[in-house]
Amino acid sequence: MRNVKKITMLFLAVSILIAVLASIAFAADAVWPKGRLTLVWHSAAGSGGDLMMRTLAKYIETKTGATAIVENRTGASGANAWSSVAREKPDGGVLLGVSSTFIASPLQNNFPYNYTTLDPIARLFVDTICIFTSAEAPYETFADFVADAKKRPGELKMTGGTAGNVEFVAARELMKEAGVDVPIVPFEGGSEGVVAVIGGHVTIGVGEYAEIASAVQGGRLKALILFNDLPGLDVPTVADLGYKTTVEKFRGIVVTKGTPQEIKDAIFNTLKEAMEDPDFKTYYTNNYLVPAFLDADDFYKLMETQTEEVKVSLKGLE
Amino acid sequence: MENFMIGLNTLLSFESIIAIIVGVIWGTVGGIIPGINATIAMALLLPFTWGMKPAVAIMMLAGVYCGGEYGGSVPAVLIGTPGTNAAAATVFDGFELHKKGKTGLALYLSLYSSVFGGLFGAICLILLSIPLASIALAFGPAEYFLLALTGLTLICSLGEDNILKGIWAGLFGMLLSFIGLDPFAGAPRLTFGLLDLSDGLEMIPLMMGLFAISEVLRQARTFNISDSYAFSERSDTRMPPLRELASYYKTHIIGSIIGVIVGVMPGAGATVAAFLSYSWFKKTSRDPDSFGKGNPIGVAAPESANNAVTGGAMVPLLALGIPGSNSTAIMLGALMIHNVVPGPMLFINNPEIPYGIFSSLFVANIVLFFVGIVCIKAAIKITSISKPALFAVIITLVFTGSYAYNGEMFDVLVAFICGLIGLGMRRIKLPHAATVLGFVLGFIMEANLRRALIISTGSYVGVFTNSKITIILTIIVVVSLLLPFLGPIKRKFTVSKAY
Repeated sequence: MRNVKKITMLFLAVSILIAVLASIAFAADAVWPKGRLTLVWHSAAGSGGDLMMRTLAKYIETKTGATAIVENRTGASGANAWSSVAREKPDGGVLLGVSSTFIASPLQNNFPYNYTTLDPIARLFVDTICIFTSAEAPYETFADFVADAKKRPGELKMTGGTAGNVEFVAARELMKEAGVDVPIVPFEGGSEGVVAVIGGHVTIGVGEYAEIASAVQGGRLKALILFNDLPGLDVPTVADLGYKTTVEKFRGIVVTKGTPQEIKDAIFNTLKEAMEDPDFKTYYTNNYLVPAFLDADDFYKLMETQTEEVKVSLKGLE
Repeated sequence: MENFMIGLNTLLSFESIIAIIVGVIWGTVGGIIPGINATIAMALLLPFTWGMKPAVAIMMLAGVYCGGEYGGSVPAVLIGTPGTNAAAATVFDGFELHKKGKTGLALYLSLYSSVFGGLFGAICLILLSIPLASIALAFGPAEYFLLALTGLTLICSLGEDNILKGIWAGLFGMLLSFIGLDPFAGAPRLTFGLLDLSDGLEMIPLMMGLFAISEVLRQARTFNISDSYAFSERSDTRMPPLRELASYYKTHIIGSIIGVIVGVMPGAGATVAAFLSYSWFKKTSRDPDSFGKGNPIGVAAPESANNAVTGGAMVPLLALGIPGSNSTAIMLGALMIHNVVPGPMLFINNPEIPYGIFSSLFVANIVLFFVGIVCIKAAIKITSISKPALFAVIITLVFTGSYAYNGEMFDVLVAFICGLIGLGMRRIKLPHAATVLGFVLGFIMEANLRRALIISTGSYVGVFTNSKITIILTIIVVVSLLLPFLGPIKRKFTVSKAY
């Protein structure tokens, strides 16, 4: 009788062991995505980055058959989105979209979450940054503006984000390199600053080309110089004019730290394929995004460099 | 004209009409629910529009926009909690009218004013979009600063018995608006190291705490079991004759003009428009003391203004290609996903979209009138709920609304703390309306003053004399500040004359 009990126990133990081992084995060659997939973005629905996540979600759904949902976790300068993804289970079930805000905001607010507390997958795009002026301004080229600014140091003004924005940093560096003194009038968000330039309250502005494209087409603004080459646009870049200042305002994907390498590879491959997808291509060309695919290591290095640059910029204001 | 026909053609299709009706219903219901404003209602609906034609999608969103800007006034009147930020100014007199039993007048007047403002805004958009765009361009940092200052002079008159009390309460609101990231230095201010404060306080939980929770707490404290259980006695919930509603046409016209002009400016918005309109009528009234005690003009003024904003806000989007507000930014998103590039080129490349927007604003506002009546009839039932049950309902609504905005428990805490602060303010008769006004305008004022000072290279005089607009606004500010002092003198004068 006792033996029977012992054998039963042994049998039970072995079967449990097999079950555990089997589940580990299955986990090892886990397929991604497993069931529902969530894509997180830190600003509201309808914003530029949100559109990117939604177009990407559509691609992943048709490609893999998994349900992909975009969640906008807004508030706390991005911390709500980043901290929630940092605390997720590291199984690749949640993809976090990040932009250069992901560099500035943690530095400005001393957040415990930044690029080191999440695992990078890849950078997808660079937003074309440009310097623009009102269509009625007496400048045809960037050199015209520099010449005028040299004559009147401190009199001409520039708008462009706030101290932590990478374009703010770049614009200030470019002015330094050109040897002109142009004070920056900070504006939060794009539209207000752009309207101030069209209205002539501020001489020039720096920002994403996508935000001013329709005003340029409508004959309200003209772009003077680009920081990133945008094919099909007849505006000189910083490199064309011999300046050394560069900026890459990125958009990329990161995941929870500790996600297994196989899953990260699967996500990486899906993203890489997405870049070639015709629908996704239409989306990013129409939105003036420059495809700039970078793998995890290079993406990490880029974020490291930008963090240092923004740190210096913030210190410079103190 | 030909293009109008294209717009009309798009409009007259079955799916467009259905889209607008669904949009208006969704927007109105969203507006009524505290915590969901027009922008959030639009954002929630956005993913569903992606299967539609771009013109139909934009019509649906225009419907949501109109409905959302109206809906907020229903809870403002019935429970003293604005459903949206823009309806905050409606509470002052709307809720008082309800307490006096003139519930029907307050609700239907607010609906009528909203529809009037919406239609007025649509007409302005169609006829005057180019000159209106130049107003948006004429407003730079110095002008915005003075506009905010003009609005702030209202706080002096909000403290009923004491000007200083209004100013104290207003300054407290401004202090609260400074919490968060300093827009210039890029460093956190007054956050006490709390991550949740890094974006500043959200307006919705702050306002619902100050208005609703404090009111519930106050009433609950004085509530006696032997008291009547009805929230307000003998409330007349019938719809007043249209002739009575139409008799406020002067208020509606001026309120709508204020709404359109403020709506055009990217730096302002519906809340600012409603407060400025309210302030305008209180200041120019022969009997300013009747405001805040149930003056119907105090409902008609902000409600016509905040709906006229819808037309004005489309101007920068269509004339300049730049979304001037969060709501129009969502419309932009709806177009972008269809690869339609917004801006002045729309009129040439996709004329069905701008003309579709024009015609849908008209239809949406007419639909709004009927949807509004249905919603009022349903919402008015709340007046027959017993007091304790109503308190529970309000607290539930406020907490879910605060939570829903960002999905953060922190905002519920903010609402609760603001409720306690609001209760304290009521006890010492500090006007919490002045705090809300200070909060709304404080940040606009600060950021734009600092910008203007950079532009004027540090000269304060340069800010005030920047343009004709700043000089006119400065004069208005000075006159409004002197008025309370001139008032008694004038009264003495007339009294002595009478003798």
